[in-house]
Amino acid sequence: MIKVQGLTKLYGTRTALHNVSFEVPRGEIFGFVGPNGAGKTTTMRILAALLDPTEGQAFIDGVDVTREQGVVHERLGYMPDFFGVYDQLTVTEYLDFYAACYRQPRSRRKKVIADLLQLVGLQDRREQPVDSLSRGLKQRLCLARALVHDPAVLLLDEPASGLDPRARVEMREILRELRGMGKTILISSHILPELTELCTMIGIIDHGEMRATGRVHDVIQRLTSGRRLQIAVLGMREEAIALLEQMPAVKKAALVDGSIDAQYEGDEATAADILQRLIGAGIKVSSFRTLEGGLEDAFLKATSEEVG
Amino acid sequence: MNRARQLLWNPIVSKEYRSRMRTWRSPLAMTLYILLLGGLGWAVFSSLASAAQSGFSGQAANYGQQLFLWLTLFQALLLTFIVPALTAGAISGERERQTIDLLFVTQIPPFSIIWGKLLASMSFVIILLLLSVPIFSLVFLFGGIEIDQVLTAFLVCATTALTLGVLGILFSTAARRTLPSTVAAYVGAFLLVAGSMLWGQLFPTTIDPASTKAPAPPAVSYLSPILPLITIANQPVSSYGIRNGNVPMNSGGFSSGSAQVICKAGPAGNSCVTVSGPNVVSGAGVVSPPATVSTIPSGPFAGWQFWQATVVLQLVVVVIALIVSGLLLPPVRRLPWRKRAAPAAA
Repeated sequence: MIKVQGLTKLYGTRTALHNVSFEVPRGEIFGFVGPNGAGKTTTMRILAALLDPTEGQAFIDGVDVTREQGVVHERLGYMPDFFGVYDQLTVTEYLDFYAACYRQPRSRRKKVIADLLQLVGLQDRREQPVDSLSRGLKQRLCLARALVHDPAVLLLDEPASGLDPRARVEMREILRELRGMGKTILISSHILPELTELCTMIGIIDHGEMRATGRVHDVIQRLTSGRRLQIAVLGMREEAIALLEQMPAVKKAALVDGSIDAQYEGDEATAADILQRLIGAGIKVSSFRTLEGGLEDAFLKATSEEVG
Repeated sequence: MNRARQLLWNPIVSKEYRSRMRTWRSPLAMTLYILLLGGLGWAVFSSLASAAQSGFSGQAANYGQQLFLWLTLFQALLLTFIVPALTAGAISGERERQTIDLLFVTQIPPFSIIWGKLLASMSFVIILLLLSVPIFSLVFLFGGIEIDQVLTAFLVCATTALTLGVLGILFSTAARRTLPSTVAAYVGAFLLVAGSMLWGQLFPTTIDPASTKAPAPPAVSYLSPILPLITIANQPVSSYGIRNGNVPMNSGGFSSGSAQVICKAGPAGNSCVTVSGPNVVSGAGVVSPPATVSTIPSGPFAGWQFWQATVVLQLVVVVIALIVSGLLLPPVRRLPWRKRAAPAAA
């Protein structure tokens, strides 16, 4: 549904994107993550036909975005990271204006707008001026705006930025509903945890280059090589570390904040073995737990060092 | 039919209208407009009325023409100040508000955005022109001006407003911010209305003694609505833009100097004569009252009426400015002569 091939964008001599490629099949939610300035917005603007790539191609639903902008705009809902609203318009008028801009017939608009307001939870504010809405409500309104022509593909650039935790949860609920409606969504964020539950796929971008892309689970596993253990012992720390380092499954063991941090490769049985050997050696273990390598770790890892 | 309707009426027009009419600025602008124009009309009217009472000189018809001339010139001046403010923020304002991308991703073609903005601001100008109709009807109390002259003057004012509006949109499209765009729009308005007149003053046509035709001011000066508005009111354009041989003219006004072009309506149509000499009768007293307008005696627009030349020249500016704006606006420019290489299969 979304296909990006060898996308490169130069601003003068500065490289904003370098040979970025990825693909999002129909119905998937692709989380596009990377630190600020990594090239997320540039990629999205190219996909929305608002920017010409220096090299490479991008397709929305098989349509080349650099050649058939009209068709692309028909199939695409775009929500930019920063946007303004018109003053002197009510919520309904605002949506009606964009629906008209998307050439929606007048007869359909009323129902579509009512449905969208219901979806984003603004049905009680239909007559309120748009410039009086809070930031969270404006974000929701902008999302409704991106949906007025019922596009198959949604590009959401940082839809949750600047929102308080509650508004963030609400935004996530709306996106989940959209996923249920079968939309293909590309959503960008520099905050990782908000994407882990929502996305089916993920792409990590940094300094204009794609570091990793694929299913969320696969990417995490690929990036978090092995698991971590946090072990607290009563005395005998040196001995415990020495013992851990002798074990072939343990990659690294070190004292971090008063407890031992050990990286190992293997499954839960391996962890049980490690515990058994520690206790067998007479070490008094007061706490023993495995730490899940989350998306945040994968992200930090991907963006802090080169990943092949 | 459907296409034409879409071109004329796009969602931007109604949206612009809603936002414009809901602010306090629009009624304020309209009120000020009527007050200023009406105030001037009243001042001219009362001074003419008292002059008529004292039985000083001239005919009532000339008073009507004088009043009309003042009103129509002042109308053009007011529009020169109002119109750039209406359009100079049209596109740059959308950029500043960060709403332009939201428009670009819709199915409205970029040119329709320009067109919608222009149509919305021009309908406001039409409202202003309609508001001024009752004030202009004062002229008919005196007579000496026919309805077609009023309509022609309105046409010249409307075309000037359109030209200023399109120039404002052009600068608004080219500039990222509204402030530089507004400055440029006012400079542009000044150049169009006064600069073109100044051009005629600085580089006047030299009178050719061998020519049988009367000289005409340089064509650049027809860009300004001032000359046609003067001639529509049956007033002479006098020595403006004409140089007598090697002796440069130092006159600044339209009614005094050592050479005058005076246009009169005769039974066989209009005729213009150049009157030389230091003691030319100045101003309205010379001109005969019948309601006709003068033609351009020579030059590329010979035989045309001044207002026709002005309207045509301004429309040329409008078309050029619209084309340039249309090329500048799209975020991704697809210039017809710059084709992209065909991509590999999707």
